[in-house]
Amino acid sequence: MRVPLERKVLNENDRIAGRLRERYKSYGTFCLNLISSPGSGKTALLERTLGLFDPARRVAVVTGDIQTDNDARRLARFGFPVRQITTGGACHLDAGMVERALVEWPEDFEILFVENVGNLVCPTSYDLGEEARAVLLSVTEGEDKPLKYPATFHHADVMVLNKIDLLPYVPFKVDLALENARRVQPGIEILQVSCTTGEGLDGWRAWIEAHL
Amino acid sequence: MSIAAAVLDAVRAEAGRRPGSRVSRAGLRIGELSGVQADSLRFCLEALVSGTDMEPLAFDFELLPWTRKCKQCGQTFRVVDYQPACPACGSHDTEAAGGDEMELSYVEVEEPDARAAGTEGPQRE
Repeated sequence: MRVPLERKVLNENDRIAGRLRERYKSYGTFCLNLISSPGSGKTALLERTLGLFDPARRVAVVTGDIQTDNDARRLARFGFPVRQITTGGACHLDAGMVERALVEWPEDFEILFVENVGNLVCPTSYDLGEEARAVLLSVTEGEDKPLKYPATFHHADVMVLNKIDLLPYVPFKVDLALENARRVQPGIEILQVSCTTGEGLDGWRAWIEAHL
Repeated sequence: MSIAAAVLDAVRAEAGRRPGSRVSRAGLRIGELSGVQADSLRFCLEALVSGTDMEPLAFDFELLPWTRKCKQCGQTFRVVDYQPACPACGSHDTEAAGGDEMELSYVEVEEPDARAAGTEGPQRE
């Protein structure tokens, strides 16, 4: 006997993500989920970003890695609360991990950055209750990454092109990368930054502030 | 692998709602933009089922295309070669329509009680 279900495979994750979304909404928290390959500069971007905010502001970070709390230690020196999620093998964060990380924290954050595990595949499928999703691409990668990982770029609100200070030294074609991103997600916003020189970070900060 | 585990949790939950029955087949709908590769998911599902009381359990995959809808002429079209413009009217004013799906669409359930009832005949007091 065939029993029709039409049930989302990740409905348990989606249920928790819905709970997180309600929580963020009720406290006016802007939650941003950062996704990229390993080494594109998520942690460096967060270091730079935290450095832009007055320590009196209610900003917090949850950072995910398979192993080590190195990222949390790098980010903690800015004085904002930081929690490390060590997934112990899982290649993505899920909503339950984020919810557990938020336990015992004050709820009224203005901004919550969630740094996902470095991976352009699996994090895409897991709603974390975020209001916006950012995907990072760096100029030491291929311009065709948006085409190779269309699901991730398709679901992103903004693409941050990082390491643009290296453009004189690498064969990366910016126009081609931007065109590829827009083919996969015509509505994607695109920002270009260097976390080394600080170029473009004003625009990135303005993008965040516009969502508060 | 965690997606495969979520599929099997859902299958178990369905079997649990029907005591005495077993699930012999599960149907999955996977979109081109879901971030899931059907072959990899099948491999993980078979690995997780192997050697458990869920065996034998077959999986059917329905693969769904990446589609967009034209906001000008209303046409829904399949995105081919990453081309987001409408093939009917050429407009670039299009929106996401499908391809995100990752669903357990059905299970096939064997009811041993029903089979047994057929051979035993009517019950008597």
